[in-house]
Amino acid sequence: MKGDEEATGGSTEVGERRRYELDDQGFDEVPKKYRKFYRRWKGPGDELAPNEIFCPVCRIVIRSPREIRPGDRIYCMACMTRLRAVRGPDGRIVAEVEYT
Amino acid sequence: MSDTPGPSEEVDLHARDPEWFREHVQSFQFWFEAVEGYLGGLDHGRPPEIPEAPLSGIERARLVTALCNYCVGETAALEGAGGLIRIAPNRETKIFLSTQTVDEGRHLEVLIHRLRELGVEDPEAEIRARAAPALLAFKDRLLDLVARGDWEAALFAQNVILESMEFAVFQNHARTADPRTHEVLMRIVKDERRHIGFGENELGRRLRAEPSLRTRLHPVRQELDRLVIAAFDEGGAGSGASPREREEITRAYLHAVKRLGFE
Ligand SMILES: [Fe+2]
Ligand SMILES: [Fe+2]
Ligand SMILES: [Zn+2]
Repeated sequence: MKGDEEATGGSTEVGERRRYELDDQGFDEVPKKYRKFYRRWKGPGDELAPNEIFCPVCRIVIRSPREIRPGDRIYCMACMTRLRAVRGPDGRIVAEVEYT
Repeated sequence: MSDTPGPSEEVDLHARDPEWFREHVQSFQFWFEAVEGYLGGLDHGRPPEIPEAPLSGIERARLVTALCNYCVGETAALEGAGGLIRIAPNRETKIFLSTQTVDEGRHLEVLIHRLRELGVEDPEAEIRARAAPALLAFKDRLLDLVARGDWEAALFAQNVILESMEFAVFQNHARTADPRTHEVLMRIVKDERRHIGFGENELGRRLRAEPSLRTRLHPVRQELDRLVIAAFDEGGAGSGASPREREEITRAYLHAVKRLGFE
């Protein structure tokens, strides 16, 4: 599998990344085998786990089997978008669209 | 649980190659597996068992007007997506647009069916009577851009401006809609996610390669988003949205345009 080295680039965190066992939360808009990588956003009170990031294009939550750090590449299959995790102005990790 | 891979064969989707991702998500194979999850077992776009809720005369009239205008938007998208196949720059985008054309045809069909369920005997005549002039003007302009073979402008008009407004309007309307309309709209929204994403990504790539394109698209944007917003006001397409909801709907669209580098 290509591209894994790229996924850690730019990380400012140190130490081992936490791993996550993903479970299917019923997100039915992508093929069955990819459902566990997504869940619905429950609105303003919804807290994102360290392995989750919000898709700014289609407003769902994308999940990763490991803690997300700045520089990580993330795919939103629901809106077919490639994203990059970056540190936002308020210190939180947010996703930016990569148009390449 | 036989389809759950064990830890050793666990595949991290996000570690896959970008080229694989781009080609895969634009394929019919992907489309089919994606829609299988939410379109199976339906009757005209909703689960068959959902009962018809009683509506007052005013509620029904407002709903019919909104649905008629959605039909205009969906017809524009159906004709637009079909027409764009001819001018799309490569195989992957042509194939994606064929899936979008199917989606838009489905949207039009289920909305027409919903109108019939509400007692509208001649949906075409009703649509003609209730369509917002600004929305009809938008449709003409979009199809004109398609006919002229202007890929970037037509894609911008359709998959960014029209789709992102529809995406927000349908979601907002679904929140307060009767149960049948709610189910129909929420499944349309699931399809529209792919369409807005396709438009933003394809256009984003173009703008990155050719920044001067932004200047060329500026007048298109000015003309067309004015029409879409006017259509929203005229057509009852907002279906009783409050000022705050209206602001939220427009904001989703403005965010997309901002991400693409338009001020
Ligand atoms: Fe549609
Ligand atoms: Fe669409
Ligand atoms: Zn998305």
